[in-house]
Amino acid sequence: MPDFCMTRSKMHSKSAASHEQAALFSSFSVSENSYCESHISSSEARGHWQVLINSLSCKDSDTLSRYHDRAMRMRQEDGAVINPFDELDKQPNSWSLDILPVLLTSKEWEDIELGIVQRARLLENLLADVYGVQETAKKRLLPAEMVFANPHFLHSCHGIQPLGGRFLTFYGVDMYRDVNGTFKVFRDYTDLPTGLGYALENRIVLSRLFADFYPKKNIQRLAPFFKTFHQALIERLSLSKNDPGICLLTSGPGNPLYFEQVLLSRYLGYPLVEGQDLTVRDAQLFLKKLGGLERVEALFRHISDRESDSFALHNSADTGVAGLIQVCREQNIEVINPLGSGFAQSPGLAAFLPDLCRHLLGQELKLANHPSYWCGDKYGLEYALAHPDHVSDLAPHQFFEEGKAVSVSGDQLSRHPRHFFASPEISPSTAPVWKGDSSASQYILYRFYACATADGFAVLPGGLALTAESLESLVGNNPAEQSSKDIWVFSDKVVEPVSLMQGMQTIPEFKRHSDLPSRVADNLLWLGRYLERAEGMIRLLRTVYRRVSGEDRFEDIPELPFLVVLLKQKGILPESPEEDTNQLLSFDLFDYLYQAVRGESGADTIINILKRVLQTAWNVRNRFSLDSLKMVNMLDRLVRRESNDPLEDLDMIMLTLSGFSGLAMESMTRGLGWRFMDLGRRIERAVNQVSLIHSSLTHICIDSETSLPTMLEVSDSLMTYRDRYRTSFQLGPVLDLLLADETNPKSVGFQLKQIASHVKYLPQHNERRFATPEERLALEMLTGIRLLDLSLASCSSDMSEEDELSVFLQSLEEKLGLFSQHVTSHYLSRIPTTPHYGTIHGSLQV
Amino acid sequence: MKYRVTHTTAYAYSIPASLSQNEVFLTPRNTPNQNVLSSELRIVPTPQYMHRRVDYFGNTGHLFMVQHPHENLRITAISQVDTSPLPLPEKQKTLPWEQVVERLHTSALEQDVMACQYCFASPMIQLQDDVFQYAARSFVPGVPILEAALDIMQRIYADFEYDKDASTVDTSVSEVLGHRKGVCQDFAHLGISCLRSHGLAARYVSGYLETIPPQGQPKLVGADASHAWFAVYIPDHGWVDCDPTNNMVPNDTYVTVAWGRDYSDVAPAKGVVTGGGVHDLTVQVDVARLL
Repeated sequence: MPDFCMTRSKMHSKSAASHEQAALFSSFSVSENSYCESHISSSEARGHWQVLINSLSCKDSDTLSRYHDRAMRMRQEDGAVINPFDELDKQPNSWSLDILPVLLTSKEWEDIELGIVQRARLLENLLADVYGVQETAKKRLLPAEMVFANPHFLHSCHGIQPLGGRFLTFYGVDMYRDVNGTFKVFRDYTDLPTGLGYALENRIVLSRLFADFYPKKNIQRLAPFFKTFHQALIERLSLSKNDPGICLLTSGPGNPLYFEQVLLSRYLGYPLVEGQDLTVRDAQLFLKKLGGLERVEALFRHISDRESDSFALHNSADTGVAGLIQVCREQNIEVINPLGSGFAQSPGLAAFLPDLCRHLLGQELKLANHPSYWCGDKYGLEYALAHPDHVSDLAPHQFFEEGKAVSVSGDQLSRHPRHFFASPEISPSTAPVWKGDSSASQYILYRFYACATADGFAVLPGGLALTAESLESLVGNNPAEQSSKDIWVFSDKVVEPVSLMQGMQTIPEFKRHSDLPSRVADNLLWLGRYLERAEGMIRLLRTVYRRVSGEDRFEDIPELPFLVVLLKQKGILPESPEEDTNQLLSFDLFDYLYQAVRGESGADTIINILKRVLQTAWNVRNRFSLDSLKMVNMLDRLVRRESNDPLEDLDMIMLTLSGFSGLAMESMTRGLGWRFMDLGRRIERAVNQVSLIHSSLTHICIDSETSLPTMLEVSDSLMTYRDRYRTSFQLGPVLDLLLADETNPKSVGFQLKQIASHVKYLPQHNERRFATPEERLALEMLTGIRLLDLSLASCSSDMSEEDELSVFLQSLEEKLGLFSQHVTSHYLSRIPTTPHYGTIHGSLQV
Repeated sequence: MKYRVTHTTAYAYSIPASLSQNEVFLTPRNTPNQNVLSSELRIVPTPQYMHRRVDYFGNTGHLFMVQHPHENLRITAISQVDTSPLPLPEKQKTLPWEQVVERLHTSALEQDVMACQYCFASPMIQLQDDVFQYAARSFVPGVPILEAALDIMQRIYADFEYDKDASTVDTSVSEVLGHRKGVCQDFAHLGISCLRSHGLAARYVSGYLETIPPQGQPKLVGADASHAWFAVYIPDHGWVDCDPTNNMVPNDTYVTVAWGRDYSDVAPAKGVVTGGGVHDLTVQVDVARLL
């Protein structure tokens, strides 16, 4: 049961509460040390909380628990809770959702909104000054340390006039309510405010959860803000409405907030790109796509400005784009926020804002600051010396001892007071939270957002509230230690119903010319190849294990000599003269087989192929449905686990692989992504099948009664053969089924037919068909196999290496290799997809 | 004195680079005692993109991109400058160093405030305790600022061994102090660190020395490559150069190219390449006196 704003130690037991529905909200006590968001006293709720509390009061704690579970499930379905790769990277969940929103009255909101708009304007003016004439420094409104010693002041961004004319376009601010109920600003976010995606997701979930309640109340909607964000950007840059060339830049799936970046990308319709997807040419930014380079005119960055350009900022950050600052300097791109904007969120800046506000805006600062004192002042220094725990660096990494940055000591403080500031601990309000089966009261911090509009700033009427049990977690920067709440802002006016989901876009890449980044296509092609490679290898190993795991002595297994040929061809058994083979088999076969599955060293051991499957899938994981990602997660577990039954391991891996490919292919639209993945699979299967048949031609007739069915089994076509021919095994029909029969999905002919059909749909500049080498090769291979005459092939005739068939297979192998090269060079590596950046240092000055 | 400076930087890549971006600071700047008569930049292969700008510190930089596969890159800067001697202030009459520190922090004069750019840690300069200790001997109370700076210059010259093999472009001040050897870049960084750790303003100057000295005078260290030294800010006067590598105050045989907080602001050439493998770098400098 919800114990709202009670003192932090006392909790009710669940059993005592469940039968007392009416008393659900009656027994709690309000702490005197912090403001309670929901209650005035232990028996009286605040006016604007009445409706919610009344609505919840008719529900018992079991109902609330069900709400909680539903909320978790909805977020999970959206991909926000469960990280399908959590076993790969051990990432905890970010900002789990509490089902109880936090409420603000329209009056409270009015003041907050005006205050945020003013503060955003102030910080924007400050950025314009610092990156321009620097009057604030020259007039000593800011201490020199604040600007010139500040790592957030990016020298190479000085003098850049942002393309859209705005120095701050997306602003976030953390506020708390002090013990008197006054809102105070705790910190600003001018580099990349995080959490907007989570605020959106939380509203989507809660509006569904409280479907009986939410629509009837005048709660301000979030959707219009996102529309404003986008419209203002389009207008600021005079971009085309249909094809605006805006991308969302992420550091990749490893980022703890990747989920929110994917969500924002989909919601705003800005393709999600990584630094590797972008390149600079002629001081313009381009997205590397299959169809060629596509101009990017605006970038919504979700990487820090200090990591955005390894070239200009001389660091080794590989997340950004080398040369991006030059693109900004030439005014060829709008970046949200402009590079260098992180300056305005420098710790310690707050102490100077009241003066700066008077000077830059001619106004008094509306929102109160959390107290912050510069130690360059007499008062600040006294405060700091009295409260050494509250002291922080203005500009970190100034002072070093024995190569290590020094922590603040009384000595440092007295010697360099101007480099430090002091700030007391915050004393935030508390709010009720539902913890799944019981309630609690936790500290709460509000994060609000604003975006630039033509005439100033618009504020999101809502936001992300962060809660935590301890102050340390609350003010820390670890989303895994915090919970989040939706913020509901009541309105005096009737709220127009706007559906949040209207804003949802289809997957952005497919919106624009059905084209996708080369990096993504490259990963999908190789994912297809690795999946098929793993399956082919497993089929062979399973066939061998099934034969040798029985009680038969090796010399009594008739298929074994032929299997040995296949194992040698795959490099699983070493090439050795015939006479050694027997010895090899009796002693070492199981060792070799084990190495083929679990060996870490060989490139094509099952484990190593699966690792590449996992890696490529991980690189493009936002392309897959959650279900298919769960299969990847399972696969990862299987890779790590080892039972004492290798055959069972292989069966399980095979099952999971098939499950993943099935789900992945099923859930993807039949766009280019799907084509590249299938193309990879077809290429790999054709290559394997051709080399399998080719290398076994000279051995297949030695004991054709056993080797032919073995070959069919390894090729996964045994059932089909039996079904179709119902005769004994003969070379002609077997080869026909494995090579030419286009109705057999495992045949080479089938693969070539699919390849030819995929190639037709790949983007190309030339309208004429068969204009590209890969198109011509695909047709040539398909025609070749269709014209192949297998009617005379039989084991009674003379089979030899020089045979016509052998020559054909040899040339087919070469053509497949060439085809694969053409696809890679035409679509994937013409523009290098992985930057092998080297930094060129200048010469030593001697 | 008139000089023609030819500075060639050549890169050879082991595999063709598909894209290279470079930024160079090779154009000498005008100063109270240096007049740039001409300066040109020749780049092979011809870059598809070239941009000239004056940077935050007032240096002229060029940023260019070669956007097609290339195995070599050759940058040649040819400049003609006219230098003249600059009178030094009388060192005993310069302000005591503590007063300079105070001026930097409180003065309302714009040039004093802007000199604070060069007061703090920067990418290659950290304000270390060990450097502070090393420098402390030169900063006894009441010593005039120029005397302290010249003392630092002289001590570095005496205490440190010049060793071309001891350093790379990334060598830190701490390493230099520990090994007691280095090259001009290291000595300049060390000098700057000594001054800044005492709250003074010091900057890094990149430039050249005359290659063949006048008859009867020894050839100075750093004459066949690009050279570097430091400068100290003296209120009411301006900046005074100090070359700890040769223990002398630069005169009209020195050519100034660019200045910044440290080497990283004014590296003569730096860049990134896509592809290119390993690269091989050769640098040639010639400073010829024009009659």
